[in-house]
Amino acid sequence: MTISYVLMQNLRRNRLRTGLTLVAFALPMAIFVAAISFVVALVELSAASQKELRLAVHQKTTITNMLPEALRRKIEALDPDRQRLTAVCGMRWFGGRVPGEQNTITSLAADADTFPIVYSDTNLTDADVAEWMRERRAAVVGQAVAERYGWKVGDLRTLTSTVPPYLSLEFKIVKIVDNPTRQNFFYFRRDYLQESRKAAGSDDPLCNVFWIKCRSAEALRSLQKDIDATFAHTPDETKSEDENAFAANFIQAAGNIPGLMQAMALVVVVIIALVAGNTMMMSFRERTRELGVFKAIGFPRLRVFIIVLGESLMLALIGALLGVLPTVTMLTLFPLPRLNFGPITQLRISPVAVVGSLIIALAVGIAAGLWPAYQAMRLRTTDALRSVA
Amino acid sequence: MSAAEIECIDVRKVYRKDRIAIPVLDGLNLRIAAGEFVTLMGPSGSGKSTLLHLIGGLDSPTGGSVRVGDAQLERMSERELTAWRSRHVGFIFQMYHLVPVLTAAQNVELPLLLFKMSAAERRERVATALKIVGLSDRTDHRPNQLSGGQEQRVAIARALVTDPDVILADEPTGDLDARTSEEILTLLNLLNTEFGKTILMVTHDPKAAAHGQRTIHLEKGVLERDEVMPRKTVAAASA
Amino acid sequence: MALPISYHWRNLFVRKTTTALTMGVVAAVVGVFAWMLGFSAALDDSLSVASDDRKLIVLKPGATAESNSAIPIEDYNRLNQLTELARTDAGSLQSPEMLVQISLPRLRDGGRTAANVAVRGVTETAFRVHTTVKIVAGRTFNPAAREVIVGRAAAAQFAGLQIGSTLNLGYSGDRGYQIVGHFSADGGPLESEIWGYLPSLLNAYNRTMYSSANLRLRDGADPKAVIGEIEGPAIQLSAQTEPAYWQEQSRNIRTYLGIANFLVAIMCIAAVFSIANTMFASVAGRTREIAMLRTIGFSGGQILTGFVIESVLLSLIGGLIGCAGTLAYLQLAGSTKDMFGSTTFTTLAFDIRLSPLIVAKALGLVTLVGIIGAAVPARRAARVQVVNALRAE
Repeated sequence: MTISYVLMQNLRRNRLRTGLTLVAFALPMAIFVAAISFVVALVELSAASQKELRLAVHQKTTITNMLPEALRRKIEALDPDRQRLTAVCGMRWFGGRVPGEQNTITSLAADADTFPIVYSDTNLTDADVAEWMRERRAAVVGQAVAERYGWKVGDLRTLTSTVPPYLSLEFKIVKIVDNPTRQNFFYFRRDYLQESRKAAGSDDPLCNVFWIKCRSAEALRSLQKDIDATFAHTPDETKSEDENAFAANFIQAAGNIPGLMQAMALVVVVIIALVAGNTMMMSFRERTRELGVFKAIGFPRLRVFIIVLGESLMLALIGALLGVLPTVTMLTLFPLPRLNFGPITQLRISPVAVVGSLIIALAVGIAAGLWPAYQAMRLRTTDALRSVA
Repeated sequence: MSAAEIECIDVRKVYRKDRIAIPVLDGLNLRIAAGEFVTLMGPSGSGKSTLLHLIGGLDSPTGGSVRVGDAQLERMSERELTAWRSRHVGFIFQMYHLVPVLTAAQNVELPLLLFKMSAAERRERVATALKIVGLSDRTDHRPNQLSGGQEQRVAIARALVTDPDVILADEPTGDLDARTSEEILTLLNLLNTEFGKTILMVTHDPKAAAHGQRTIHLEKGVLERDEVMPRKTVAAASA
Repeated sequence: MALPISYHWRNLFVRKTTTALTMGVVAAVVGVFAWMLGFSAALDDSLSVASDDRKLIVLKPGATAESNSAIPIEDYNRLNQLTELARTDAGSLQSPEMLVQISLPRLRDGGRTAANVAVRGVTETAFRVHTTVKIVAGRTFNPAAREVIVGRAAAAQFAGLQIGSTLNLGYSGDRGYQIVGHFSADGGPLESEIWGYLPSLLNAYNRTMYSSANLRLRDGADPKAVIGEIEGPAIQLSAQTEPAYWQEQSRNIRTYLGIANFLVAIMCIAAVFSIANTMFASVAGRTREIAMLRTIGFSGGQILTGFVIESVLLSLIGGLIGCAGTLAYLQLAGSTKDMFGSTTFTTLAFDIRLSPLIVAKALGLVTLVGIIGAAVPARRAARVQVVNALRAE
């Protein structure tokens, strides 16, 4: 028999209470691990986009006002020796829908020549690039989109635009991208869009945004300043933002799910701390006399402290595992249907989140046990022996 | 097989409740020889339990000195007292105070967790202690599967297992019927005679007191009467 | 005779720490719930204003919202053949409108992020079609000058929209429009917009097409029939009633609320368990007291009711603390919130408020949580065996 055995036996003493506590601990913990996974995924994504060193240039008043495609030349001219930028890719919003579907796909027409360079995170192989350059109707599609509609490489698919003149275009899927940063996108060639628009009577070579692939973080910042300064007080005043700042505008307006998740995670920590603290206080109070016996037998103060704290830790750990493990198993076995919150397409429980949850649970266990353990340590043996449970 | 002498000189203990001082022991002098079995009697509030707690090192006197063997208790810190208790004193309580989630053997083993001792040695000592109290066949029972008398035997085994010099018992038969009480008292006599333990037992029951060699009567915090019990009662009881 | 409330009240304070910690759990859950209800109510309030089904929004087929619709003037003119429109002396209530956006810094985060605010070009008729729109400060815009008016929700949430300041609008953002008034729209979505004179804005944005037409039907007209006529071969535009349009636009916001609801539901279950835990401990600690009450003649049912009352009291106090916490949060951290419509990039701004109704709903939930949490422990209390309990130590 060891002290830890005594701890385990103590948790089994009031099975009902331990059970209720574990449920009350595990449920919020399940939310916590999911919420934290979401936040972790976002942080990872934003770190990944940061690494891509892309700068977005759009019209100053709003992204729905457009800039002439000629602006690409002017931007390139700012760095003729390609010291700071590698390539510039103009993009135009298409907002296509699969006929008969409600959801608008994040579909954009991109400059064919520079797209593979600026979006190197699409991991196009040389063969993919060759196919993209050869096939005018080529489309590079994120995995989430492809799975939602059951598309495969080589498929011919039609999307109908939700912006004037509401073109219906046929695309040939040349690549499905599995990089987490590009899950929810659909890219195709801007020359194809332009041609089709011209045929429909709208010959307006415009772009919503120019994406610039930069050579370094410093280059990105200096280009950001130079570009906005160059086009200030021209008819095409610009605003430049890095990819994360650009995305933040949408995440905020799409309801700030990350904010919701963070708030939930915080509330959950408060709840589990209170639940565990409550149980520890109750179990301490009921066992005052028993702890007195421990002290009378000659258990030192520190041992008594550890006995109470250890029980709290054990409780928190089991509660956390009961919450986290089923959540992880469920989400692994039965993945949620595709989500559509900004860049997050699927709730995958990351190991970081699991470890983080367990650490939080341990911290909560310590916090909850600290006061009762301190009380137990300071207990006057003679009073404790006399006390009525 | 050890025993210790107990000596109290001018022991005073004052409790403070709110701002009123309540004297519980008021200049008590007492000597108990090594290997003696002494019982302590007196009305409620006379200071019996307090004296027991002071001798057991659970509490410190307000004044005077308490010596148990070589240990001068009033000079020891709480930490020292705790360590001392674990080796030299065995406690027995009226309500047994067993840990309900542990088996009889585990309850007895509990104090040994404080010793540097191999698991095998601990098992052996627990077995010996349970054999002495006559519960070798109940080792794996939980307290709620035992009768009151059996529970108290487990508590005695727990007090015994560390081979202490002194055994302090606070109304050990207070919650038991007459027959079981006799069994428990006989067991204490056995610890005293066979193993030479010094025993101090608080009781209300004159029949229980008759098991001791000497009875000390406390009244309002002072020693009122010190009475030597006739030997024959002990002999009759153990017969 | 039932046990007096004061008996239950005092019992809560016998176990101060446990009571306080359990109240804390309830408060945390209710706090989130109240915030969510406030959000949901703000959305519903806003959209319930936009629920006039005699108002039709006409778009170009294929467009999903006013912001991506473009109706050529000749298409628009085909609407003139509709006979079911309401009329005034000035003509039929058929309002050509144009919708563009301007990116404005949010006040609540100090301008760190920006929102796309709708700029609507309208004519005189718009004020007769959108009857809820009323000037609340300043005056309306003068068609001959570069002037705009701003919805009061937009003015409260985005920077630079005070009366007297100038907004740079136009395709290149180089046309200064002076803000001359603020308007209300009964709290509806129009309050998140900026309005200016249609021809002036069309010109500023180099546009030759309208975005939409907003129609008001005459009394007794059947919206379905009119929609059928608009979508028919003679006009070939698409139309929706105002409620249908906003229902679709708020779809993503409802998904968001759905997720939040689900999370709150899970936390409610956790709160139930937490309360049950506390009540079980209370019953166990008071077994003898319960036996005494039974002995002097209280029935098992009365004991049961007593424990449920105690649990509900505890939950209600927790609930009140939670609501107060949310209220304080909204005061300190700000109560504004804005979201995209699902297919527009245009912002819908809300102000989350805790109305008495919301507090009542939150406390209703809390009462339920308290009752469910107490159910099993209270039954156990009611079944306490009197004789055994009195004998028990």
